[in-house]
Amino acid sequence: MDMSQYKNLFLSESREYLRTISEQVVALEQSPSEKGAIDSLFRGAHSLKGMAASMEYGDVVVVAHSMEDLMVRVREGGLPFGAGVADLLLEGVDLIEALLNDVEADQTAGRPLGDFAQRLAEYTQDPPQKREDPAQPAPDPATEPAKGGAEAEKVKEPAGEASGTVRVKTELLDHLINLTGELVTNKHRLLNIGREVGSPALNDAVSETGKLLRALHDEVMKVRLMPFEAICDRFQRSVRTLAKKSGKELQFELEGREIGLDRGTLEQLVDPLNHILRNAVDHGMEGSAERLAAGKPAKGVVRLSVARDRDRILITVRDDGRGMDPQQMTEAAIRKGVITPEEAELLSPRQALMLACIPGFSTAKEVTDVSGRGVGMDAVNAAIQKLGGSLGIESEPGRGSTFTLRLPMTIAIIHALIVQCGPVKGAVPVTAVHRTVELNRRQIETVGKRQMFQLDGETVPLLSLNRILGLPLGRFPNGILPLFVTEAKGRRVGIVVDRLLGQHELFVKPLGRPLSKLAGLAGGATLGDGEIVTILDLADLL
Amino acid sequence: MATTVMIVDDSLFMRKMLRDILEEEGYQITAEASDGEEAVAKYRECRPDLTTLDIVMPNKTGIEALQEIMAFDPAARVVMCSAIGQESLTQAAAQAGAKAFILKPFNPELVSRVLKEAAEG
Repeated sequence: MDMSQYKNLFLSESREYLRTISEQVVALEQSPSEKGAIDSLFRGAHSLKGMAASMEYGDVVVVAHSMEDLMVRVREGGLPFGAGVADLLLEGVDLIEALLNDVEADQTAGRPLGDFAQRLAEYTQDPPQKREDPAQPAPDPATEPAKGGAEAEKVKEPAGEASGTVRVKTELLDHLINLTGELVTNKHRLLNIGREVGSPALNDAVSETGKLLRALHDEVMKVRLMPFEAICDRFQRSVRTLAKKSGKELQFELEGREIGLDRGTLEQLVDPLNHILRNAVDHGMEGSAERLAAGKPAKGVVRLSVARDRDRILITVRDDGRGMDPQQMTEAAIRKGVITPEEAELLSPRQALMLACIPGFSTAKEVTDVSGRGVGMDAVNAAIQKLGGSLGIESEPGRGSTFTLRLPMTIAIIHALIVQCGPVKGAVPVTAVHRTVELNRRQIETVGKRQMFQLDGETVPLLSLNRILGLPLGRFPNGILPLFVTEAKGRRVGIVVDRLLGQHELFVKPLGRPLSKLAGLAGGATLGDGEIVTILDLADLL
Repeated sequence: MATTVMIVDDSLFMRKMLRDILEEEGYQITAEASDGEEAVAKYRECRPDLTTLDIVMPNKTGIEALQEIMAFDPAARVVMCSAIGQESLTQAAAQAGAKAFILKPFNPELVSRVLKEAAEG
């Protein structure tokens, strides 16, 4: 078992135990018979020992083991917890802290432990010679706490600085983000009131509050970030297992482990990425013989990489396998009745690859027990869209495929374009909006049954959001149609709405059942005036 | 269907290691608990096929948690995790109904063998 992957976790958790031990030692000096603190000290040393033994850090094991034994004697052997025991435990904490620093710095030279273990084993009572003033009488409980406290302080400080971390429950982070979100909503309420009463002082205060909230939001989001590394090892394992199972030779590469992603996003990514990797190994990758025959190295390469692109995260899975043929994909889709031959003719090669994401579509010639029938790129696509992201597929037959996931950095508070369609106010994340246009009716061209317009020299189809939502169509008495441009299945489209109401900061709340079952809705949010908007899932609607 | 497992240990490090070993073996980890009290509560909630239980833990030791789990579900399959030198505790655990023992530090092969036997036997 490769233990190096556990090193960071070992270090951070060990340091937490050291801190607990220091704190408990101080607490015990105040009230030496506190059983809870004695138990906790024992457990701390015991856990440290167990962890270090797993990592095979023998020196840490030796020190922690002697501390544990000493605490057993305090707990069960009647050894009184005095300044001597406290000193030894704190010395042990210092020693382990130094050993951990060596581990962290990959210092393998070893560090003399001296007679530490022996002194603990032989310890029976507070040694009077350790007193600064030999004339002073034996330990006086009344003066002990001050000294112990000061020493513990000394020990704690470097320990705290070196680790500088606390673990918090994820629910607490969720509460924090929730509260921050509610504050943002409330700020918009205050802004509205400010406008009504026309008080510049109030407006100033609210705008200052807005800035502070933005900073708070950014900090809270940062707390929620976890390195991609936290889920990497699962992919490594599953790819290895899959390759073994399918008898394929391949190399798995990982890039960008250190990139931070929102904790919530990270958790939701495991399954989709596993799915894509499975497809890559199972269907994308050829066997060695086939690869050699095609003039490729026998060993295939699957690479999972994570990168940051401004406020987005880019995750790509690339394989150098047999690739996907758009022509074959299109034919298969027609055969399965997923699309009509007429529709097929309109598809660009890139759009043809995206057919993989249509429910019920799979080009796998044979069914394996691994990624079998439910190959389910449609499920992957849906999961990515739920996270506010998008999926792109590129492929070259014979050369391999690349799956690209584009994800927003944060998912809770978004900037959205608010649009009005009949009685409905909808919100579209600005990340999905290329631009807005006010189109003169005369600029509309009709091609067959479809309406198009020219945008930067490209013919872009027009759709009506009212029609998509099943609402009465808008009338535009002045001949100007407001619309926004977005991308659907790799193509730009113009979406006509009744009115564009502007950009708004929204705190997204998930929809409960049964609303969450409705297609096309990604969530809900409250505007500053208390009005509710629905966040539209365009990819789902189009 | 994969065998479901709940992992109980106060150390995140130990839970993670055990999780990795077991997931590699095809087990499905349905719950994790970091102390005895949480272990009992989560056991009632998700009724895993197998439970691994650390002995030295805060808020109810592994032995206390084991007794409560066995009282709630006499058919529970619980494997205790212990360190060398805890022989007296392992005896108490065996009496309380523990199916098997795994020794820390974990040896992946041994862990998977013991768990397999506990799941089948």
